[in-house]
Amino acid sequence: MPLLFGITLITFLLTNALPGDPVYSMVGERASPETIEKIRKQIGGDKGVIRQYFGYASLLLTGEMGRSYYTNRDVLDEIIAKFPNTLKLAVGAMCMAVPFGILLGLASAMKKNSILDRLITGFSITGLSIPVFWSGLILMLVFSLRLKLLPPSGTGNIRYLLLPALTLSLPALASIVRITRVSVLEVMDMPFIRTARAKGIREMSVTVVHILKNALVPVITVIGLEFGSYLNGAVLTETIFGWDGIGRFMMEGIMKRDYPVIMGCIIMSTLIFVLINLLVDVMYLYLDPRVRVDGTDR
Amino acid sequence: MHKRLDRIAGMFFLIFIFLIVPSCSSKNRLAGHVYYRLNADPTTLDPALIVDVTGGSISAKIFNGLVKLDEQLNVVPDIAESWEILDEGTTYIFHLKKHVNFSNNREVTSDDFKYSFKRILSPSGRSPNTWVLEKISGAKAFMQGRATDISGIEIPDRYTVKIRLEQPFSPFLYLLTMTAAYVLPKEEVERLGADFSFHPVGTGPFLLKEWRHNNEIILARNNHYFTEKARTEGIVYRIIPEELTAVTEFEIGNLDVITVPASEYTLYRNSPGWKEYLSSVHGLNTYYLGFNCSRPPFDNVELRKAVSYAIDREKILKTFYEKRGWLAQGPVPDMLRKWQMRFPYAFDPQKARELIDTEGMKDRTILFYISADQEVVDIAEIIQYYLKAAGLRVEIRQLEWSAYKAAINNGEPDLFWLGWWADYPDPENFLFPLFHSSNHGASGNRSRYTNKEVDRLIEAGQKALDIPERNRYYKLAEEIIDEEVPWVFFWHKTDFTLRQPRLKNYKIYPIYTMDKGLEVSF
Repeated sequence: MPLLFGITLITFLLTNALPGDPVYSMVGERASPETIEKIRKQIGGDKGVIRQYFGYASLLLTGEMGRSYYTNRDVLDEIIAKFPNTLKLAVGAMCMAVPFGILLGLASAMKKNSILDRLITGFSITGLSIPVFWSGLILMLVFSLRLKLLPPSGTGNIRYLLLPALTLSLPALASIVRITRVSVLEVMDMPFIRTARAKGIREMSVTVVHILKNALVPVITVIGLEFGSYLNGAVLTETIFGWDGIGRFMMEGIMKRDYPVIMGCIIMSTLIFVLINLLVDVMYLYLDPRVRVDGTDR
Repeated sequence: MHKRLDRIAGMFFLIFIFLIVPSCSSKNRLAGHVYYRLNADPTTLDPALIVDVTGGSISAKIFNGLVKLDEQLNVVPDIAESWEILDEGTTYIFHLKKHVNFSNNREVTSDDFKYSFKRILSPSGRSPNTWVLEKISGAKAFMQGRATDISGIEIPDRYTVKIRLEQPFSPFLYLLTMTAAYVLPKEEVERLGADFSFHPVGTGPFLLKEWRHNNEIILARNNHYFTEKARTEGIVYRIIPEELTAVTEFEIGNLDVITVPASEYTLYRNSPGWKEYLSSVHGLNTYYLGFNCSRPPFDNVELRKAVSYAIDREKILKTFYEKRGWLAQGPVPDMLRKWQMRFPYAFDPQKARELIDTEGMKDRTILFYISADQEVVDIAEIIQYYLKAAGLRVEIRQLEWSAYKAAINNGEPDLFWLGWWADYPDPENFLFPLFHSSNHGASGNRSRYTNKEVDRLIEAGQKALDIPERNRYYKLAEEIIDEEVPWVFFWHKTDFTLRQPRLKNYKIYPIYTMDKGLEVSF
């Protein structure tokens, strides 16, 4: 709660300090000073920033987020309507990035310095370096324009989801590959792996149970961070593929200085980050007994 | 551990299935519907609140007004059957057609027009379009809450609307062709409240069937439309923000019409398969380099002339802009101008340098504000190059649109780049808001130009009912404006659209309100 209070206050002050005036975007290209003043008053822009903030904070306490200045639609309703799309996109991207990322990272580490390792490393560097607006358009060119397999834009079922999810998964896939590789290599040199092998445990079991499980802690952190950022919207991917998610909603809010929309999206982002971090911490407990504090492992 | 891994794999599989299941309902094109693209979700479809072209072009298909524009840009009857102009242009009497129904099957009466106009001007309302109707007698008193009714609107009977103006205003009928003057059914507006924006009910040739925000808007043909009905079953507007995505959607046949992006123009113009399906119209717009005339250095007319001399507009238009427009000779687009005009300060770098030297302005730094649009950035850099050659240093400040708008409305830059698009096809729309001294800043005159004679001529033109007389005033005003160069007039941009060969009778219009979507068919 104090975190939320701090975030809302800072965001509110920052958005208000931005150059630009929401009223100018609302009135079009030709509006009399009287109209501008009237509309400013109606959205409460004539009051001081602190008074505006307390007005907003009391609204939040009643469980509301206000209405968009432009569309007059309820911000909370909009977020609730768009969040499932963002969730679908994020889950879709992670479904592609996580298994392949871990698998490729593991393979790369197990076959260190082989051609396979170099290929995978090259692929992951490429994945990290290519901006999504380029990879997205290329994927669209291939799968929509040339092969006519998938629709280029729209929000809907899995056919609509595949291209944006694939685009979005590439950078995450690349970073998961890299972190898995590094982490696995580190674990492989640990004495307990040698011990495990000396005990005659099957190689497959050593790899999966001993190496991978121990190597997953930093990987989970990266997955958590990537997933968290995808849940807060992926502006470029959503724009290219016309996907109706939180990212585009927030971006349009920012462009038009739609303060209630910006605030609503930031509050939601904060909550998601807190939740994801909590989830990642819980995962640590499961994966790494040293993190547990219940005393039994000490 | 294997079991755990199995479980994790199982979980991913389940999520995958959860995503895949809805795909059984693969989306197809709606039969008989024309597919257009919008680059953004309209903020509203309530005519009182619309300020964007996307909302305006859709509402033109859902609503009607008293009058509308025909293809030659003349004012012709819409819901009004006929009208009379009396008392030296201050009284307009409109006789309405009978049996014109809203889509809720209630007949339109004169009361509805009064209600709709009052709603725009209401002191508690949020309409930014009050300027469209504020010429009506008593409108200002009503807007300021000093009167409970608008004295200038009378409804003598069910089918007559009488409007009195405070003083003659010759383009008044044009104002009534705008979206803000459309008629709405009171009962629906009151029943839906703020939701009327998203569930509009009008009289137009189409009805709003579905609006999936940021996705698509589906209009269905109104089979009870009071005049010639649309030839298509409906219209689907797909909301696609990215231009190249829209081009892809068009190429694979998911869209029937697209606006041709600048980057694709040459490709389509030279493509043997597509070029015959390219349509164009001279846009009613003017793109300009604006000076801030209210403070040094550009309060000095000689320096404004120097900047005009310094820039080769024609070359920029031909090369960089690929002739996607017409060279402007003044603020008024050629299509609306009934007189000859020639911008007096065409490219002459020698004169530019001399003037800058004479005025002691050599190497002075000029603040040039632009919006964050790549095309504008490119143009600004070209201008910067020309001005550097003439002896002025130009510092470009790029702002995103909202901050840019605030900056130019508040008169922060020395120079700025902007375009003006017609609300209605009359030279007055390119003179009064943009150059009258009462409109400095957000009202339109962002160059803060002030000239009492220009003010007087524009006002005289607004009052003159005789067209040749009106044109004479406008011509004189435009001549002074050209002479004093508050802007460097660049070009009138041409609009290009590309359509699928299967689409018949497609037309492109210079003003979005003209397109009711009636003729187009398959």
